[in-house]
Amino acid sequence: MSTIAEATARGQTRRRMRIDGWRWAGRIFLLFMLLYTAVPMIWMLITSIKSGFAATQFPPQWWPDEPTLASYQKLLDPQNSVGQDFLRFFWNSLFVSTVTTILSVIVAVPAAYAFSRFTFPGRNFLFFAVLLRNMFPAVIFLVPLFILMRAIGLVNTHGSLILTYLTFGLPLAIWLLKGFYDNIPVQLEQAARIDGATRFQAFIMIVMPLSTPGIIATAIYSFIGAWNEYIYAYTFLSKNEQLTLPVGIQRFFSENTTDFPGLMAASFMMSVPVVVLFLVLQRYFVRALTEGAVKH
Amino acid sequence: MTIVTGKTEARRKLQPVRSGALRNIWAHRADYAYVLPAIAVMLVVIAYPIYYTIELSFYKTPPGLQLRDKTFIGFDNYTTILTSEVFWKVTWNTLIWTFGSTFISFVLGFATALALHRDFVGRGVLRAILIIPWVISAVAASYIWKWIYHSDFGIIGAVLVGLGLTDRPPNFIDNVSTVLPSLIVVNIWREFPFAMIMMMAGLQTVPEQLLRAAKVDGANAWQRFWHVTFPHLRNVSVVTILLLAVANFNSFIIPWIMTAGGPSNASHIWITHIYELAFGRQRWGVASAYSVLLFLILMALGYFYVRALSGNERKEGSA
Repeated sequence: MSTIAEATARGQTRRRMRIDGWRWAGRIFLLFMLLYTAVPMIWMLITSIKSGFAATQFPPQWWPDEPTLASYQKLLDPQNSVGQDFLRFFWNSLFVSTVTTILSVIVAVPAAYAFSRFTFPGRNFLFFAVLLRNMFPAVIFLVPLFILMRAIGLVNTHGSLILTYLTFGLPLAIWLLKGFYDNIPVQLEQAARIDGATRFQAFIMIVMPLSTPGIIATAIYSFIGAWNEYIYAYTFLSKNEQLTLPVGIQRFFSENTTDFPGLMAASFMMSVPVVVLFLVLQRYFVRALTEGAVKH
Repeated sequence: MTIVTGKTEARRKLQPVRSGALRNIWAHRADYAYVLPAIAVMLVVIAYPIYYTIELSFYKTPPGLQLRDKTFIGFDNYTTILTSEVFWKVTWNTLIWTFGSTFISFVLGFATALALHRDFVGRGVLRAILIIPWVISAVAASYIWKWIYHSDFGIIGAVLVGLGLTDRPPNFIDNVSTVLPSLIVVNIWREFPFAMIMMMAGLQTVPEQLLRAAKVDGANAWQRFWHVTFPHLRNVSVVTILLLAVANFNSFIIPWIMTAGGPSNASHIWITHIYELAFGRQRWGVASAYSVLLFLILMALGYFYVRALSGNERKEGSA
């Protein structure tokens, strides 16, 4: 009797220890990933509040002796030439990204809906063609697109960027939204149409509201993609007043190579809009991925 | 390759109404209106460049973009590439870069997703922090890490010296043997969150009852993972790995901003090399030939990519 009880007890502790082992391994692993993720970002912030002199010390000052916001003031001061440039780049990025986002949603929603609902000839071929776009790197298209943009007079305009950004956001947007529409029961629309709605009305009033998370996710994805894009902007734009943030910052700091606090402050401010946007809307994004991409 | 698959599929669909393929298209004319804007944009920005790149790859081109003066030279650009030593060096780098980044990002992302699956205090905050690198622009990430790796004032060097591991801070990105691994670390930093989000989304679809049933039957944590969770995540894993592999194969910003391919080509991958050939050395013809080769490789990969991404399509079709 007692031996059996003992054996069960021993078995239980062993099992609990094994579970605890996994749990502890998980915790230690998460701590490691947290350090890996956060240390670079924290170091960026600490460097950005140092003076140029304090940043170039060895061994480094782990916390600046005299923290200063001078770098931020310089970047955000419209009176100063650096600030003027930075704010203009910021505005350019915002403009290009916003227009791209709006257009991608307008183009992707009907396309995804059609791919999900209709069976027109060539549907699979077109869907695959759209997906394939994502396979090809920007560099392949650079030379011909540059020539094309020059031919239609879009070089050195934001239009050239918006047009190209649209295409690389679209494939994933269409794929994600299609997965979403696949999961919305057709019966809902049929019910609406029996009640006298046209196909378009059913789409606008039934399908659109149900797919809001997918649309929000698509919009975030396009916005972040456009905001962070570098290579086309680097190639298509040459006038200083039109540059977007990534290129503008790169140009500026290839001339001022030792201003590390300024560079870190600029990197930080360039990241803030997209990070905030993403963190506010991330639950839609995860939901859209779950329903649109994963749950098949 | 895939294009052919698509066409045959379309044809198969049409067969029952062979008498009127055109009539069928006409009957569905309204449907095309929905996809037309997307297709139109794609055609302008993709089909034309592909055609033009293939054409240019057979020409010897003068520097500058005075492309009227180009001369036809057949396959010379291709032989130039395949016989150059740089080509093999760059190809090897690309393989290490793509496989290293993809594999480690996926494993780290998957493990993080598993560790975050159980609820605990602060889980949401932790998840949010871990996602941030994925959202940050690659340009900003490159600068942050360049500063961290800095050979005089870098934080990693300072820590290593502080711990007494080295006398002098090591020079990570100006050293032929450490530059590629150092850049891969940066790339993984930006990419593992994507794998994490995808796998988290996947984990939510694993039925809780199955896991509980397995537990009742005496399966331990590892067995539950291996026999219940993992099989459910096969599709999403394949999609994630393919998306990562394609993105890595095509990455440009991190190697370009951090090292521009140097020192002595040690961190050049295909894309940066093509960019340098075209816009640095103005050898448009050779760069185009490179692009066409890249194309062929990507089309082969694309076959698997499209199959994985349209997985549900096939299931519906066969059902």
